[in-house]
Amino acid sequence: MDTALQTSEQQLKKTLRKQLKDTIAPETKRLHLALLLAVLGTLVFIGQSWLLAHLFAGLIKSTQNSTGLVDVFSSQALLLLILCFILRPSLQFVRERLSQVASFRARATLRQRLLVTLASLGPERQTLGADGALSNQLLEQVDALDGYISRYYVQLYLVLITPLLISIAAFYYSPLAAGLMLMTAPLVPLFMVLVGGAASRSSQQQMAAMSQLSSRFLDWVRGMSTLQHLKATDQAQEDIDRSASKYRDTTMKVLRLAFLSGAVLELFSSLAIALVALYLGLGLLGILPWAKDVIPVPYAGALFILLLAPEFYAPLRQLGSDYHAKAEAEGAIEELLPLLEQHTWQHPGQQPLQLDAAPALSLTAVSITAHNGRLRLPCINLQIAAGERIGLHGVSGSGKSSLLLALLGFVPYEGEILVNQSALLQLLRSDWHGQLGYLSQQPNFKRGSLAENLRLANPAASEQQLYEVLRQVDLLSLIEKLPQGLNTQLGERGLGLSGGQLSRLAIAQLLLRDAHIWLLDEPTAHLDPETSATIHTLLDKLSVGKTLLLVSHQWQGLQWLDRHLDLAALHTTKEQQPC
Amino acid sequence: MLKPIRLRNLLRSRQANWSLALLLGALTLFSAIGLLAVSGWFITAAAIAGLTLSSSFTFDYFRPAALIRLFAIVRTAGRYGERVTSHHAALSLLKDLRSQVFRALTLGKTAATLDSTSSAATMHRLVADIDRLDRFPLQFVAPWFWASLIVVCYLTFAYWLHPQLAAAASFGLVAAWLLVPAVGFWRGRTLAQEDVTAAEQRREHFLESLSLLTSLTLWQGWPSQQRDTLIADQQYQTQQLKQQQLISLLSLLQQWALAISLICVLWFGVDLVQSNLVSVPWLLAAALALLGVHEALVPLAGSFIGLGQSQAARDRINQLMPINQAQPIETDDTTRPAAPFHLQTEQLSARIAGALNGPENINIDLRSGQVLVITGASGIGKTTLLKVLANALQPSSGKYLINQRPAEQWQLDECIGYLPQQLDIFDSSLANNLRLADPQASDEQLWQVLADVALADWAQQQNGLDTALGEYGAQISGGQARRVALARLLLAKRPILLVDEPFAGLDSRSSYQVIAALRERQADGLLIIVSHHAMDIPDVQRLHLS
Repeated sequence: MDTALQTSEQQLKKTLRKQLKDTIAPETKRLHLALLLAVLGTLVFIGQSWLLAHLFAGLIKSTQNSTGLVDVFSSQALLLLILCFILRPSLQFVRERLSQVASFRARATLRQRLLVTLASLGPERQTLGADGALSNQLLEQVDALDGYISRYYVQLYLVLITPLLISIAAFYYSPLAAGLMLMTAPLVPLFMVLVGGAASRSSQQQMAAMSQLSSRFLDWVRGMSTLQHLKATDQAQEDIDRSASKYRDTTMKVLRLAFLSGAVLELFSSLAIALVALYLGLGLLGILPWAKDVIPVPYAGALFILLLAPEFYAPLRQLGSDYHAKAEAEGAIEELLPLLEQHTWQHPGQQPLQLDAAPALSLTAVSITAHNGRLRLPCINLQIAAGERIGLHGVSGSGKSSLLLALLGFVPYEGEILVNQSALLQLLRSDWHGQLGYLSQQPNFKRGSLAENLRLANPAASEQQLYEVLRQVDLLSLIEKLPQGLNTQLGERGLGLSGGQLSRLAIAQLLLRDAHIWLLDEPTAHLDPETSATIHTLLDKLSVGKTLLLVSHQWQGLQWLDRHLDLAALHTTKEQQPC
Repeated sequence: MLKPIRLRNLLRSRQANWSLALLLGALTLFSAIGLLAVSGWFITAAAIAGLTLSSSFTFDYFRPAALIRLFAIVRTAGRYGERVTSHHAALSLLKDLRSQVFRALTLGKTAATLDSTSSAATMHRLVADIDRLDRFPLQFVAPWFWASLIVVCYLTFAYWLHPQLAAAASFGLVAAWLLVPAVGFWRGRTLAQEDVTAAEQRREHFLESLSLLTSLTLWQGWPSQQRDTLIADQQYQTQQLKQQQLISLLSLLQQWALAISLICVLWFGVDLVQSNLVSVPWLLAAALALLGVHEALVPLAGSFIGLGQSQAARDRINQLMPINQAQPIETDDTTRPAAPFHLQTEQLSARIAGALNGPENINIDLRSGQVLVITGASGIGKTTLLKVLANALQPSSGKYLINQRPAEQWQLDECIGYLPQQLDIFDSSLANNLRLADPQASDEQLWQVLADVALADWAQQQNGLDTALGEYGAQISGGQARRVALARLLLAKRPILLVDEPFAGLDSRSSYQVIAALRERQADGLLIIVSHHAMDIPDVQRLHLS
């Protein structure tokens, strides 16, 4: 059981890594160039240290032998040193910009890909989560990859390359000093695991605790009016104080551990400098116990090594502080996984469609199976005559909505759906959509004026047409009373209108489309019985002559439909199976 | 009593803690630089001493070696101590801020301003903004304190070596310390302040696009909407990129300025060495220390971005807090109405801001023990009317009297129990949710009130009083949440009870059970029920809005 759990976790880690790699793939060229520049920067640093070391070695000689400065340190060398000073920050700057642009582009590409995925899912996307959660994923989670792409990715290579380059340079002058540094080198991967593990655990725990605390605070603040009303604000205040203190104490416990591993790295870094300095200094004095009266490393080499020493551990220290970027990115990718692994289906049809009147629909042995093999709609047969208006009922989960999605061309199905005589899968989807009117509970409104919202359905509609459809849905008198008429602003999600008025407005949008087929998905489920009765009456009046399919879990108020079908009764076999 | 948040006060509450963190951080940086400088001095001095055999044995290497070890230890321990204390201080600051903001919010009249759909987003931003405020001490104050201290220390050291050396170093050093970050000041702050607005716009754009996705796909409008959405994203990202690039650019300029400083130190230093005014080891120590100063100056490049973000966060929090609202005047003559109650409205009309319609010319006359049932189609203004009666909304015209006196002249806070349409269930147990209304309530009282709202059976099947209600009441159905809120209100024992749709999701037998319990509890008070269920209840007044 435990091993099974472990392997599934490993599997997940593998998937996450693969997805991260895929996300970065288009930008690897930039990132590798950035890495190259970083390596070049290290080489420049080595050169700069060498020049500095020789400058001071020259200075010592010059004070001893009283020769001129130009003899020991030529103007050429001085120019080279200045060049190094200019070059190294420049390389760093270009490297940062490359990484930032790479991250910018990779995230933009990923976001576009996800948005396209969502668009081709259509109403199906709701199986993945509410729109609020999805937009949050598209924005925050994708942005959470930034640190990984722009910093961590390159740093991961540097942490191996830089110490290696520095040891090689140091080896040339003093194998022992290089050995001293390299002795700690096997500790580098070890510390990557230790620091990484601790940092990732602590940052994950901290993030989890933080979001928990935030949501708790949010919970209280959202309910402020209730708390005030109940005179319970003191209780909430107490809870906030208590949980914030508790959060601080538990987080500090975790952080102390995490900082400890950072401190050990810091210690290594300090010790590398201190040990190297003592060894070299005592060596120069010729008082090393094992090498009396000999100078193992001449001054220039000694200073060169001393200048290199701080840089040996710098990438590892940087990696430690960037590690949370990796944890963050992995968490984000995990959140995005359902969306990334979504297999979208493209409606294949290419045949153009032109309808002059309401068509007949014929469904033969149609069934719908989900990706995971679950049967969403068992086999049904259904003939709808041209201009016939049908009510389709059934308990929730019986496949009503899935059938509508298939008719809308958003999900694949088995069996055959014919529009007049042409197979739906052969038809160009956009042409088919041009003939459809679709109405659901989801509001189709954005911030903007009434006219703008109506014109979403038909951008070319004239003002005359807008007034006409508003008259048809009995909103004209209300709109005419408004001081700004058609230019009245609607708030977020149609704020300012009642549910019934919004339904009427949605029907007005439908009318602007001048469609021959109406597919209605529980258009009144969110309304109270009285309002939904008036909306039903309105639908009755306006849908005469259209082929109409109304899906609903109830029968009341729908007596005007030509036919009512219980979805369960349509199933060809008792055992609900695909055809 | 209620003060707006000021950034400079943020450090004051935990002064000792912050001071220790600043001190330890300064010690760490100082040791890091000292370690390099002393090491450099040591090997150079050793090299010079080693040239003449006699002096190499008299050379005192114990003291520099001890100093090197000391710096190594202080650097390690200091870094650890600084991290621990500064995080402790930052977390304490967070705690104080949350506490302070919450207290401020409790004092304000938030009910009217916060029940729109955007309130959730506003509150999310508030929480994020509070978290953002710790950037002021961590990304602005501390880096500037350390950088300034280190720069001053360095210049003093250089001056002690030779005034000319200090003068040589100062030009580039001051540029890296003050001049370059000053560029960040006028560019970075605006960038950071625009940041959140751009982010908010992008979020709204995405949310709107997703909610319109299906329809726009059908209406062939999606491609252009998708393009607009991606453009909005791109604008925000470009803004972010600008911030990052500004920081990179500033850091480049800083390094160049430091390089100039180092070249100057070497240039003039070599002359000073030649004229025996400064020894080679000390010149090297000065040069190495200058390389180390870099570490202290780097965080300054991003400091103004941090400052701008904190300032923007502070402004938004202060805007949300009811600082400028007139405090309710609590004079002595606003007393509570006493039983028996008499509630009247005359030609009362009201409208919620932005709504297209509301109740008009309403007349009510209700006395203690009586029940009023308000019915009508949705959108007709039942909820608005109830809001006016709950004294949460001013009528646009007409009179609202309680015991013959205008309602706003009474102190109605603990008189009216109001179950609004949008209710709040907190992420806690059933018992904790109920006890908000009465912390002293016994378990028996809780079970009784649950029975009254027909939830006792359900609670018994669940986890009893310990049943978790989940975030925003997500673990229970809408109707159950409504009745949990009703039960909570009943525990508060308010003589005037106004309830909006208490019967949602209840069969008619349970509905009658609930209404009987409500009537019994309000036998000496008033009960007003808004419902679109046409229920046959005897002996009630009815008001049908149409």
